[in-house]
Amino acid sequence: MARKAEDSTKDYPALGRKLLWLDNMKNVNRIVYGLYGLCAVLFLADFFYKKKTYVAIENFPGFYALYGFVMCAALVICARGMRIFLMRDEKYYAPKDVESEPFPESDMERETVHD
Amino acid sequence: MTEYFPPFLVYVIGAIVLPFLPNDGRRASLLLVVPLIGASMIWSMPEGMHGLMVLAGVEMNFLRVDKLSTIFGLVFSLAAFLSLLYAWHVRDTIQQVATLLYAGSAIGAVFAGDLGSLFIFWEGTAIASVFLIWARRTEGAYHTGMRYLIIQIASGVILLAGAVLFYRDTGSLAFEKMTLGSLGTWLIFLAFGIKCAFPLLHNWLQDSYPAATVTGTVILSSFTTKLAVYALARGFPGTEMLIYIGATMTLFPIFYAVIENDLRRVLAYSLNNQLGFMVVGIGIGTELSLNGTAAHAFAHILYKSLLFMSVGAVLFRTGTAKGSELGGLYRTMPLTMIFCVIGAASISAFPLFSGFVTKSLILSDAAHEGYYIVWGILLFASAGVFHHSGIKIPYFAFFAHDSGLRPKEAPKHMLWAMGITAFLCVAIGVYPEPLYALLPYEVEYVPYTTTHVITQLQLLFFSALAFTVLMRTGIYPPELKSVNLDFDWTYRKLFPAILRHAANFVSTVMAAGSHFIRRKRETVIRGLYQSHGPEGRMAKVWPTGSMVLWIAIILSATLIVNFF
Repeated sequence: MARKAEDSTKDYPALGRKLLWLDNMKNVNRIVYGLYGLCAVLFLADFFYKKKTYVAIENFPGFYALYGFVMCAALVICARGMRIFLMRDEKYYAPKDVESEPFPESDMERETVHD
Repeated sequence: MTEYFPPFLVYVIGAIVLPFLPNDGRRASLLLVVPLIGASMIWSMPEGMHGLMVLAGVEMNFLRVDKLSTIFGLVFSLAAFLSLLYAWHVRDTIQQVATLLYAGSAIGAVFAGDLGSLFIFWEGTAIASVFLIWARRTEGAYHTGMRYLIIQIASGVILLAGAVLFYRDTGSLAFEKMTLGSLGTWLIFLAFGIKCAFPLLHNWLQDSYPAATVTGTVILSSFTTKLAVYALARGFPGTEMLIYIGATMTLFPIFYAVIENDLRRVLAYSLNNQLGFMVVGIGIGTELSLNGTAAHAFAHILYKSLLFMSVGAVLFRTGTAKGSELGGLYRTMPLTMIFCVIGAASISAFPLFSGFVTKSLILSDAAHEGYYIVWGILLFASAGVFHHSGIKIPYFAFFAHDSGLRPKEAPKHMLWAMGITAFLCVAIGVYPEPLYALLPYEVEYVPYTTTHVITQLQLLFFSALAFTVLMRTGIYPPELKSVNLDFDWTYRKLFPAILRHAANFVSTVMAAGSHFIRRKRETVIRGLYQSHGPEGRMAKVWPTGSMVLWIAIILSATLIVNFF
């Protein structure tokens, strides 16, 4: 089911054709800048309302924002480091494992939009 | 024996009748009717003990109806209905019967009023569900199913042992709140812990769920683990140890989920993480936190099914669920993508989605009760969930690089199942009151406060920001064809290797030992042969002359001795 040379968008569902604007890198950048803007607004929002808190640290301005960012970055970097020790070839447990097996055709209906 | 018909029997009757129906839409319709009848029965049963009977002198109760069992019974029925709608196309009798018996056993278990009947249904779920893995019909699935079955059956056997000891200690088998102390209660706790995928007992989950069929995984995701959550909530509420077990459960699977390639296994890790939240709620044991656990289990069953359904639909059309092989499917599977995003938003607890109004019950209570470190861990885990389930799953399946795959949209019945589930995820998030009304205790909780909405949005959007920055800077680990070692490595590789080496060592020592003994024996035999054999000294015939000489010598010696 490799991408066919004559891959024509006319076979795509209407909704999928509308979403094709995501193919344009410029639009993706717009979304990313939108996210940056939204994050800035959310961070600043902390200064404009009375926070109802139970834990002292919550009162720190932008605590949730910083915690979310720092912990997620740390999560990914740690997980990346874990790969050094934990990653093995897909056939590591084969044949007593499904990981390297092809998925049985009997349990699927492999169809493309061009069919 | 009972004034009400037990709902599980509807499933059993359905499973018996099913094979006699023509294997087409009629059979699929019956499959959908069964959970509807079951749900209506559960809905109309008043609270109380309805199924008392005495078996071999022991009082058993098949039908204990209260708010806790009812909410689990209802959500199990709903999950069965939605999964069976999703599986409308399946014509495999084994899977159809297994699904009915599995869902029926899980529903039977939540209404079981004593440990004996709980055990029967507990094992019922184990035996029925393994067929959903074996239904893949490959060598790998066979071995995975065997591992799954051994662990599940072991959980049941431990439960039985615990129940017997508990009966000896207390003279009762009633399944009520217990306190850890005697061996019996510890064994029961361990049995629940295995099915609930406690840390180090968890690997059966990540091992088996990605090995089942497309529809089998959706069905598996709903019942076994949530049955264990129910059992813990019933048997061990307020057990402080559960807070720490639960916090650990929320934490470590998210690291694995980040580096895992198989998206169904990523979802299995995140399922494990979500169970952690529920277990913390049980451990805190207040009315608010137990409500949180029940509500979160309800919402979780729906959004987790939805996520498994959407990834399953991709697998159904492309033959793979691996992040490294997928990408760019939003073009041709836009509806599946939207449903997946709704599931992702729900598990991530975005405002207006179901996770937001359920998970916060547990988090708030952890802070109220002064478990600050646990609260911090849960907050981290919430951000982590968004990271790997909320972003990673939809991103690598439907966006990321263009894999060149142009699969057709999922079949209509799958879209319907996903659509209804997605609708429920949003409905609960927007209007949680009906769900709150089903909870075991009175709810006085307002999820939509300015602080809660803003802080949650900050947490989530800054997690998204972290993902974006790491992705754009190339630090985010790419999806690679691989397996990652987890604790199951110990019993799949280490113990067998130790056993093999031990066996080799013992056989070498035995061989060397027997060789040594044989050599020694031969030397002794040879020595004896030399001395006593036909040619040996002892066998020689001595001449008469030398005999006389020796006698003369001995006599003279005697004379000399006597003389002095």
